[in-house]
Amino acid sequence: MIGRLAYLWPEIALFATTCIVMVLGLSRSLPMRKASAWVCGIGLLAALGLSITTTPSGSTVIASGGQAMLPGMAPFAKCLICLVALFLLPLLAGTVDRAEEHRIATGAGVFNPLRSNRAEFYSFFLFSITGLLLVADADNLIWLFLALELTSLPTYIMVAISSERHRAQEAGVKYFFLGALGAAVFLYGFALLYGATGTTNLNAIHESFLSRGISTMAIAGLILSLLGLCFKIAAVPMHFYTADVYQGASAGVAAMLAFVPKTAGFLAMLLILATVGWSSGPGAASLPEPLRLLLWVIAALTMTVGNVLAVLQSSAKRTLAYSSIAHSGYMLVGVIAGPGDGSFTRNGISAVLFYLLGYGVMNLGAFAVLASVEKPASDGGEPRELDSFDDLRGLCRTHPVSGWTMVLCSLSLLGMPPLLGFFGKLPLFTSAIGAGEIPLVLVLGINSAIAAFYYLRLMAMPLLEEPSFRATAPVDNPFVSRRFAGLLSAGGVIVLAVFANLLMKESTAAGRYVARPETASAGAKTEVSVAQDGR
Amino acid sequence: MTIFSSLSMLAATAAPKPMSPILSGPPEALLVLALPILGVILCTLCAIMRVRTRMPAFLTVGCLAAAFAITVGLYLKSGPAPVITSGFEWINLSWGDSAGENSPFHQFIANFSLYLDALTVLWMLFVTGLATLIALYASEYMSGDVGTGYCRFFAAFNLFVFSMSCLVMGDNMLMLFLGWEGVGLCSYLLIGYFYKKPSAVEAAKKAFILNRIGDLGLLMGICLTYVHFGSIEYRDIFAQAQPYIDAAKAGRYSEIPAIVQLIPVLLAVGAFGKSAQLPLYVWLPDAMEGPTPVSALIHAATMVTAGVYLVARMYPLFLLSEIALPLVGWVGALTALFAATIGMAQFDIKRIMAYSTVSQLGYMFAGLGVLTSTGAAFHVVTHAFFKALLFLSCGAIMHGFAGQLDLRKLSGLRRMKGWGIVSLGMLVGCLNLAGFPFTSGFFSKDMLIGEAFVTPGTAPIGWILLLTAGLTAYYTFRVFFRVIVGPVHYEPGDELHSAHEEHAHGDSHNEHAHGDSHNEHAHVEDDHQHHDHGHGGHFHPHAPGWAINTVLLTLSVLSLAASGLYFVPTGVHGGAVPAMVDRSSAAYQSPFAHHAIPEGAGDGGHEGPDHAAETVPSYVPTSIAMEDPHAVEHPHENAGTFLGWDPHAVLFYVSGAVGFIGIFVAYVLHYAGRTTAATARADALLPMLGPIPRWAQHKWYVDEFYNLVVRVPLLALAHTFHLIDKLLVDGLVRMFGAIPRWLGTLIRPTQSGELHGYAAGMATGIAVLLFIVFMLTLR
Repeated sequence: MIGRLAYLWPEIALFATTCIVMVLGLSRSLPMRKASAWVCGIGLLAALGLSITTTPSGSTVIASGGQAMLPGMAPFAKCLICLVALFLLPLLAGTVDRAEEHRIATGAGVFNPLRSNRAEFYSFFLFSITGLLLVADADNLIWLFLALELTSLPTYIMVAISSERHRAQEAGVKYFFLGALGAAVFLYGFALLYGATGTTNLNAIHESFLSRGISTMAIAGLILSLLGLCFKIAAVPMHFYTADVYQGASAGVAAMLAFVPKTAGFLAMLLILATVGWSSGPGAASLPEPLRLLLWVIAALTMTVGNVLAVLQSSAKRTLAYSSIAHSGYMLVGVIAGPGDGSFTRNGISAVLFYLLGYGVMNLGAFAVLASVEKPASDGGEPRELDSFDDLRGLCRTHPVSGWTMVLCSLSLLGMPPLLGFFGKLPLFTSAIGAGEIPLVLVLGINSAIAAFYYLRLMAMPLLEEPSFRATAPVDNPFVSRRFAGLLSAGGVIVLAVFANLLMKESTAAGRYVARPETASAGAKTEVSVAQDGR
Repeated sequence: MTIFSSLSMLAATAAPKPMSPILSGPPEALLVLALPILGVILCTLCAIMRVRTRMPAFLTVGCLAAAFAITVGLYLKSGPAPVITSGFEWINLSWGDSAGENSPFHQFIANFSLYLDALTVLWMLFVTGLATLIALYASEYMSGDVGTGYCRFFAAFNLFVFSMSCLVMGDNMLMLFLGWEGVGLCSYLLIGYFYKKPSAVEAAKKAFILNRIGDLGLLMGICLTYVHFGSIEYRDIFAQAQPYIDAAKAGRYSEIPAIVQLIPVLLAVGAFGKSAQLPLYVWLPDAMEGPTPVSALIHAATMVTAGVYLVARMYPLFLLSEIALPLVGWVGALTALFAATIGMAQFDIKRIMAYSTVSQLGYMFAGLGVLTSTGAAFHVVTHAFFKALLFLSCGAIMHGFAGQLDLRKLSGLRRMKGWGIVSLGMLVGCLNLAGFPFTSGFFSKDMLIGEAFVTPGTAPIGWILLLTAGLTAYYTFRVFFRVIVGPVHYEPGDELHSAHEEHAHGDSHNEHAHGDSHNEHAHVEDDHQHHDHGHGGHFHPHAPGWAINTVLLTLSVLSLAASGLYFVPTGVHGGAVPAMVDRSSAAYQSPFAHHAIPEGAGDGGHEGPDHAAETVPSYVPTSIAMEDPHAVEHPHENAGTFLGWDPHAVLFYVSGAVGFIGIFVAYVLHYAGRTTAATARADALLPMLGPIPRWAQHKWYVDEFYNLVVRVPLLALAHTFHLIDKLLVDGLVRMFGAIPRWLGTLIRPTQSGELHGYAAGMATGIAVLLFIVFMLTLR
């Protein structure tokens, strides 16, 4: 167990920061409370540094008892999580205070230090990120479940407190109840898996599958686990909440929702699928047929539902929410393709890991634009964030930084060649072709074309349309940090694309799948006490 | 997946002759690329901070001067073999049945690396050097636009230098293409710099669109190169082309696949577009709408030579095709002649220079076509200096006379106060361009013409070039005799830069009112001409300031000094520049070149024909133009002659004489006895030639011809397609486009916003999916 601690340093550092931030938030002096965002940043930087330096990879992971099928995944995933979290931080900064300040300004409330929940918001954020890092480390179903819930629980509250508007609270409640339902489903799946194999250790489950075959009960457990995780990644049929929650939450929190639970869901999916492997299907290199079929249907439906609903929207935020569903569908294609021959263009796992980073960065930029510009309400109410497409009209002229960020990010989300999104989508296509999933590739292609409809709209509105100089012309949000977050993202879309090759190499290493780790169950053998065969 | 393993595999399989291992180059070469980018960033910051001083110009000069200094360092360090400086891995994809497979067709590598050989360094020397000087010049020239326009100009200027460096220094064709498109973009941005002027916008669009035609050729060439050679890195291509080169050397063209022979032709099309050759040259004269420093740097000295660079860089491939080099040669020669005839009849001095650029670029292509890449490169260098000088002098005139460029309205600049250096610059530039003996233009042009007579079968090209040399001398000195010398006379143009010239506005309006009837003006030919206008105009031309004068003086000295390069003893005919080209992939020494070096013309260290064997790299064929393989041993027998004489010996005198004739004709027609600015003896002779001068003045109606042949049918086609599109395709698209919407509206009710509805939906979805999966797979 002490060995395990050695590679939990990022989580430990982040957890310590969380505690500091919580205490700091109770300080009487305003500057101290205001410092909490910076402390958060330092904590995330420390976690990033520790992820790079202390997270072991390969054989060390196995030696220390971690899951051994995807030995390179944890370090890469942790780095990408910390990186995107660092991008998210400036976007989230000031989310709660704005609402509170406005309440006081309009006389709806009086200043009450107890209500100044600045620090809680940040610590919820850090809790969630800590949970996400723990997901990457998971070697055990119980660990995985707890980590997933640690990731999700704070987000329910963050949604509810992100804005003073009732919509946010409604969104929070919806998100919580449906999230609980999703958690119940995958917990049920985990329970069935335990029942089928008699162990919760992923290595041991893998071992059991290899030696005793995959029982029907285990298949049922896997299917339910995947379906439950579909809630985290916002895939059909668990996607219903997405648009309502994203629209209800403030744009910053929505950006976080599009990245954090999605990453958690995909990492968990890869970990669980790694136990059965991509070599037991009808084709030499594919998932067991029931799982492949399930994921195939989910992927196709998810892409299509997300895109066709996005086409209909007049709200940019809802469009982005539906497009987030569609992107999950794209990534599922990589999950189905599996490790292939291990090279970057054939490895679906590394494609997913790469895409998670790309999507995290570029999606953040689009939400940052919505967050950094706001429209004063005509009735003197709280200024609201940009929402509809019309609000974006001529943004490049009125707010050049935000406008161009939007243009770049939506082009990248569309997958235009020189930008990051292209390099993300390319291996999804090639890996699926390599795995022989041609019909799915066609669906993916058609959906990418449909996506062009609304992404080009998202790009054309700021760039080509005349600004609408009405009484409610948008103004810059007082938080400069949000524009900064947008700039970071727009810069990332270009810079990471230029240095894409480095990331490709890293993600190729991260996506390495070891079908039969030699020492996989060395530490876990004893746990396999009951051999159950459901057949 | 590493490049080195693949390289070693390639080298092991492909090259029958041991290639010298490619060393890694000096890392500071990357700074040459980084500094202009730094300039772009700084200028952008200046624009954001609304700097209203000449700061961006000096930042630019600083960055570019540093880049030039580094390039000089590279030159001093450069050895005979190419080196590669690795930047970072840009695109490195591999695929295949197994992860370890790295065969050429299972990977695509385009790294951000620099291929440094003598050709690269040569190009970079004059690109960065001239860019620095011209940036300094522009700091004064553009001072009327200080503010954001100034920042925009210099940001684009830096971006241009970056793109050009990318084009020249990249170690693969994708970087070349990146730079190629980059310079095209910057050219577009800078031609359209005065974006409120419709003609400038038109010209920018014209340049951009015409370049697309050439770029298509280049892109197809690159694609075919990848398809055939499995790599777009120069070293791999050259290594893989080796067997074909051996075949071509033995004259066995039938062994070379047609696809390989097609590649250079497609690349040549790209080069014709960028370097303004027939039939794609029409954009370059219009590009003069841009600010003059841009014309000097981009449209005279550097960007337009990118086509020459492309051909020179890919010279080993060009040698593989039987038609590519003759095509290049003939297009070049005909362009040279054609553009010269147009240039003779123009009145706008900047346009004359533009046509002369087209014509001189034609010389360079002709040189490449007649197998003297060394001569072509030498001409590129000398031309870069003297043409930049001529443009900048024209720019100074334009700047000082409020945009006046009509040679009928300017005269006697030499005698005006403060215009001495400009006049000197014009004189030096004109002498070089006209090929006056012992100027650098004289030597470089003679190398081309002489080689055309030496190489078998290309004598007609030589005659065309010789004729063009005479025409060049004529139109060059036509400008000089009318604008610089003669009676003092000037009229301001219609662009007024500063407030104190406000009065002169009346003049310019007056000019417009009079229209073309300038002959009726009957100006008084003295200093006080402008008082006699009678419109209260007090236009005073403002003479150039220190920055412009410094640059003009420097360039004058440099273009004169460039002829010294010819005398540098290097052992290669033609001096320093050919010696550099000789050390690069462009090296091609015609076996005829070495017996024919003139005794008197001072080639310092010529060591005799056997030296050729040492200087010619092993992978370059010794002869491509000969059918008879035995001729390699007896090159003298096949070498061409000039009317029975040794071309190199006699052409110095012949082309000198042709130049003199041209200058003399210009003197007689445009200077002797000329008493006004507007009329000269030539005007009296014009009617004798019938409509020809008018046709030439209207550029042989090429634009109109293109309009009729290309644009009108295209427009008709476009309208037809538009109709088809509207009636048929739109309907189909709408139908298909409606499907997502229809699907969406079908699914939309599920997004009711009600919590229990969502929960029910999720439960139903799980149930349905479970049912499907179990029914289909687990019966």
